[in-house]
Amino acid sequence: MALLEVKHIYKSFGGVKAIQDFSIEANAGEIHGIIGPNGAGKTTIFNTISGVYTPDQGTVILDGQDITKLEQHKITRLGMGRTFQNIRLFKGLTVEENVMCAFDPQSQYGIIGGLLPTPKRRAEEKRGRELCEKYLEIVGMKDYLRERPENLSYGMQRRIEIARALMCEPKILLLDEPAAGLNPTEVGELTELIQRISREIGFGILLIEHRLELVMSISHKIHVQNFGETIAVGTPEEVQHNPQVIEAYLGKEE
Amino acid sequence: MNALISNVLTQVCITLIAVAGIYVLTGLTGMFSLGQAAFMAIGAYASGILVIRTHIPFFLAALIAVVMATGIGYLIGYPVVRLRRDYISLVTLGFGEAIAALLNRMTTLTGGASGLTGIPRKVTLTMALVSAIIAIALAAFFKTSKYGRQCIALKGDELAAKAMGIHVTRIKMVAFLLSVALTSYSGVLYAFYMSYVDPTGFGWKKSADWVIMVFFGGVNSLTGSTLGAFILSALPQVLRSMQNYRYVIYAILVLIILNFKPSGLLGEWELTPRHIRETVARVRNKFGAKKEG
Amino acid sequence: MSLQVIINGIATGSIYALIATGFALIFNILKFSNFSHGATMTAAAFVAYFLVSSKGMGLVPTLAVAGLAGALIALFGEFVGFRRILKNHSAPTYFFVSSITLGTLYEGLVTIKAGSNFFNFPSFFAEPTVGVGSLVISTSDLVMFAISAVALLVLAFIIQKTRIGRALRAVSFDRDTAQLMGIDSTRIIQVAFVVSGILAGFAGVFLGIKYTLYPTLGSLVVKGFIASVIGGLGSLTGAVVGALLLGILETILLAVLGSGYSTIAVFGVMLVFLLIRPQGIAGSNVQEKA
Repeated sequence: MALLEVKHIYKSFGGVKAIQDFSIEANAGEIHGIIGPNGAGKTTIFNTISGVYTPDQGTVILDGQDITKLEQHKITRLGMGRTFQNIRLFKGLTVEENVMCAFDPQSQYGIIGGLLPTPKRRAEEKRGRELCEKYLEIVGMKDYLRERPENLSYGMQRRIEIARALMCEPKILLLDEPAAGLNPTEVGELTELIQRISREIGFGILLIEHRLELVMSISHKIHVQNFGETIAVGTPEEVQHNPQVIEAYLGKEE
Repeated sequence: MNALISNVLTQVCITLIAVAGIYVLTGLTGMFSLGQAAFMAIGAYASGILVIRTHIPFFLAALIAVVMATGIGYLIGYPVVRLRRDYISLVTLGFGEAIAALLNRMTTLTGGASGLTGIPRKVTLTMALVSAIIAIALAAFFKTSKYGRQCIALKGDELAAKAMGIHVTRIKMVAFLLSVALTSYSGVLYAFYMSYVDPTGFGWKKSADWVIMVFFGGVNSLTGSTLGAFILSALPQVLRSMQNYRYVIYAILVLIILNFKPSGLLGEWELTPRHIRETVARVRNKFGAKKEG
Repeated sequence: MSLQVIINGIATGSIYALIATGFALIFNILKFSNFSHGATMTAAAFVAYFLVSSKGMGLVPTLAVAGLAGALIALFGEFVGFRRILKNHSAPTYFFVSSITLGTLYEGLVTIKAGSNFFNFPSFFAEPTVGVGSLVISTSDLVMFAISAVALLVLAFIIQKTRIGRALRAVSFDRDTAQLMGIDSTRIIQVAFVVSGILAGFAGVFLGIKYTLYPTLGSLVVKGFIASVIGGLGSLTGAVVGALLLGILETILLAVLGSGYSTIAVFGVMLVFLLIRPQGIAGSNVQEKA
């Protein structure tokens, strides 16, 4: 059984069929690319897998547990991390605090510790800060702990968002257009980062991306979406030579 | 100390406790309650009636009143933390006005419109001051805890907060209940300081006043909120001689801040122990340097 | 329930409808609850009282002056309280704080002039009641209902059929896009405030006639909020329907429960509405974009 099993999910809004019969299986260490033109329903797939929406039909199974109808925060706690297309870091918090927020739901102290500096609170906060440093080091942002993310560059914010998602200790990581808005150097660094965390931490990655060179170079398997439907699945080479894909997506771009 | 000053300071301290609660609710969590003053009323009436009727000690009555208010807060909070933000102020408004009407109506228990009299005067300036310091300290510890961080996170972006595993409704509820507990405790102090309470003055205007104080001082700063509450609650008392003009002056001041410094007097600045230590060190250095020179 | 109660309810409801539509207009366009609306009503009614009706002039000049005063006050409020906040793109919560502060300001100014006294509008009508069959209707109720109805119909016409109305709807729907399409959104927002101010002036005079005039009269604006919650926040038709329902409900409850518990029951109804049908009678449920 795969780590993540998405079986035949459907989702519509009003009359718009955003997802029709989408399925995917992902295991630890794998990177799955999801590509397709704007409005193909890619982000809706992420939103449905991660519990923002409940699918109209179909099931989502994470590590053997049915998470189809669970609330979003529970799904996260079971091992689903994600980043957002348009960077959604928390305003009013420093880089460190942003990443800590993903640790806080797992933090083991109660309301007494919330109101008083109990030993338990100190210990847990310390544990959290250490994890924070660890993940920020992985993404190369350890020197910016006390900065406000809004004062940092786009590429740096992307990295912080990834560190925050790592803090959720995901089994499956959903990356929604992580290269959007980055310059070529930053895209290179990001590609390297994604491959490195996939190798070292060993979770499954689902990746939505418009930059084909990025997806094609690091994905093990690619799903091509168009108007809510999956029009092709396969290795990068297979997909690149699929005539339907060329017509629907690649042909349009070039 | 001058009796007038002592009176003003005691009332300011009582307001500071309620405003610490509003800071947790509005400043940290971004929820607007227009019914918060009703919890002050519940705290005041419940403790007052308990002491008058059953003669239990003040501290016990205070505890029971706060627990009771928090219980009612849970019932109101249940829908509140699940509703869309723009509805929260309306629900709490409805709740607050209903409580005020109820207090007017339950004459045998509350004295109705003529108020509840004969509450023993137990609260001194010292007690109000200590309570205010404790309340502000609790709010400060809360802000820097995992709860405070999660509150700030969900204030800005609920969806992203959920995606990080934050249990949004639970965190909102914790903030709401802490706020209710602080507010109701300020009500207890109010009753046992004034020795008289009546239903007027616990309406939505009161709750709105507290929110204004928080914004005036800086909605993102506990230090600012406290300062705002201190200035704006002392101001009408100080301007008492100017009678009717005081609320006009008050309103103009707030409008100036809102227009020209929307983040409030202090913005996001917080007075932390580190600031105090550094200032003390700087003063000492300067002093020491002078001595040597 | 007797027809008499229903008629009284509709009369009260028509005043609430004036309040609720004035409130909903601003909610529509700026997406926030304008808590200064109540104090605007009071202030406009007081201006009309001191300038016109206390000098023995009739209802029509009183309403005209109240409407004008309401419009000017609302314009002032838009400029002092909301213009900069809008320009700074501050969070909507700032409108809320600003509007409450404006309300405090107006109420304070009225108190300076009027003290905390009660004032009575002179009786505008020769005959206090009109008999229709077995029903007895107070003349003032009848006239207030008629004027409110006409005012609301005119408003509906303006919004549905005129260019200004179309611009108003466009700006309410999407301010930025409307701006791009060449609509001067600042001007349109001013228009909304003027209209809302006129309605506030009328409502203030009517409330003054019904309950006497005093500086905190504006707290009755809460009825307008409740009506727009029942009707659906931001919907003008909903606000009118909600206000009439509220008027009738309140009159019935008043007859059955007496004054104290009817207030509680009304808030109870509002809470139930918010929990069961938060979008109100007219509103459609908007799903937040993820």
